[in-house]
Amino acid sequence: MAAAQIFAVIIFVAMFIMIVLDKIERHLVTLGSGVLTLIIVFGICMRSGSAIWNTLAIKNFATKDFWYQVTESESKGINWATILFIAGMMVMVEGMAKAGFFRWLCMRIAYLVKCKTIPVFITFMIMSAVLSMFIDSITVIMFLAAVTIELAQLLKFNPVPMILAEIFCANLGGSATMCGDPPNIIVGTSLGFSFFDFLTNTGLVAGISLVVSVIFFYIVFKKEIVTEASGNVDMSKFPKPSEAITNKKDFVISSVIFGMAVILLITHATTHLTVATIGLFIAVITLLTSGKSALELLKKVDYKTLVFFIGLFIVVGGLEETGILELIAEFIENISGGNIMLMIAIILWVSAIASAFVDNIPFAATMVPVIQSLAETAGVDLNTLAWALSIGTDIGGSATPIGASANVVGTSVAAKNGHPISWGRYCKKLAPATVIVLAISTVYIFVRYL
Amino acid sequence: MAQMIISVGREFGSGGRVIAEELAKRFNIPIYDRHLITEIAEKTDLSPEEVEKYNEAPKMKIFSRRVNGFSNSIEDNIAEMQFNFIDEKAKSGESFVVVGRCAETKLRKYPELISLFVLGDMDEKVKRVMKIYEVSEDEARDLIIKKDKKRKRYHNYHCSGHWGDSRLYDLTVNSSRLGIEKTIDILEKYILARIGK
Repeated sequence: MAAAQIFAVIIFVAMFIMIVLDKIERHLVTLGSGVLTLIIVFGICMRSGSAIWNTLAIKNFATKDFWYQVTESESKGINWATILFIAGMMVMVEGMAKAGFFRWLCMRIAYLVKCKTIPVFITFMIMSAVLSMFIDSITVIMFLAAVTIELAQLLKFNPVPMILAEIFCANLGGSATMCGDPPNIIVGTSLGFSFFDFLTNTGLVAGISLVVSVIFFYIVFKKEIVTEASGNVDMSKFPKPSEAITNKKDFVISSVIFGMAVILLITHATTHLTVATIGLFIAVITLLTSGKSALELLKKVDYKTLVFFIGLFIVVGGLEETGILELIAEFIENISGGNIMLMIAIILWVSAIASAFVDNIPFAATMVPVIQSLAETAGVDLNTLAWALSIGTDIGGSATPIGASANVVGTSVAAKNGHPISWGRYCKKLAPATVIVLAISTVYIFVRYL
Repeated sequence: MAQMIISVGREFGSGGRVIAEELAKRFNIPIYDRHLITEIAEKTDLSPEEVEKYNEAPKMKIFSRRVNGFSNSIEDNIAEMQFNFIDEKAKSGESFVVVGRCAETKLRKYPELISLFVLGDMDEKVKRVMKIYEVSEDEARDLIIKKDKKRKRYHNYHCSGHWGDSRLYDLTVNSSRLGIEKTIDILEKYILARIGK
């Protein structure tokens, strides 16, 4: 077992380093590491066919619980529900983007507030958070940042503060629901939580934090955003929201599908449909209604991210099967001396600090079995640990330009349009905002659950 | 005149930039080197000095991340803007000389491209750098090593081929053998032969 443990750790650490070095595409890194885990750790060291079988988890597809779940159940190995759900949402989002939905929504909101800078700033922050509750933050920021830059050129203000605030709110919104951020999907599907569980736990603190964040960003960015032109806006120069719609029929269909996805997700604890079923259903409906464009939508799906997830789950499965994650759990239990408050604070803040610098998806995937083990051995409520983990990984990612995908996309869109954002510029305002929200969340968890 | 794109890769101190400038003068075509910095500065919030800091610089991998082709690194984004700039110039049919910027790889798809790489003997490069930058021999040597290391990392990150590898260029030449002037003459003849004159 010792050899298996050593190899599992070596593969995991090497995978992390390779992801950071960015020499080889990250999906190839995790897939390669996954294959090595199967061959070296499970095959050569453990000679365990069942470990391979458990980690590949293909049998899950054949179980009723995978599609229709009455009682909560936990999953191990490759989290196919996460992969299927993300794939389904990718297809839906491609359909929405093709129809011009996101651009239309951004322009519509800007029009509703008469394109006045401060109201645009505030509504875009809220819109970023709300959209990110259901749609991946990469898509949300890609469209929001592009429209923000367009508005900034017309209204003559600096778009950087607005983009930074949108990035932060996208990550915050993502923390509010089970499908908002990949770590939440992993935590939710692994531990059997529902959309509503997240909304009433992480969602509540995300809502409080959003109010605080909007006030915070308004205070720190007000001077940079308000310009002479702000009070006097000539709306006739702006592109009309309707111009964003490429095809009215597609637009209506994609809006209806999005509405269905939201309803299905909100009600899935009552309907017992799992996120895997919802993902598959949404993808099929989108493809069936898109006619000739179906193939085009399928081609646009980001398969690399899906492969990245598969490889990642196998590597984490290696750590799990060899008992490494239990050792980490024991370590956390020991350093906290059995103090539950300290344990929760460690989970939340260590997750946040780690997520500020490394990809939060592998981190969350690794930590899920750790908190499971911690709950079993130290007698801490698993749900509380899960909320601490989700909040830590989701919010911590906002602190630096590389902490979350939305940050990279937002800063890149800004740079491509002539507004490069350095680490200093980014962290000066977003790192304090991250600390404020983490502090609010820590107090919230202590007060509500302990 | 038919389109002519001349890319000049160079080792620091080899006289590559001077050679490129003289070739541009002899063929009466623009040269894109410093111009690429002012061009980017005009398009961005950055001053030319700030662009210079990120120009032809490799990114700090530990502080950078890529997501679906997007990068947070300013170095990456400035490099991308410069690649797009030279690509648009090439596409428009304009003739020009470009110094560095991975042009031998980024513009390889254009049959009009003539790619050159200028290298030099260390002693000769040290002498040139000492004279131009008014530094000591040791400082010159350190500067050459540092600058070339930076160019190599920048190039090898953005391209699949290796910086200075003769297989990547149409012609590589050691400027220390014949001196700068004669090297320019030879290169001019080569370019004329390539364009059929």
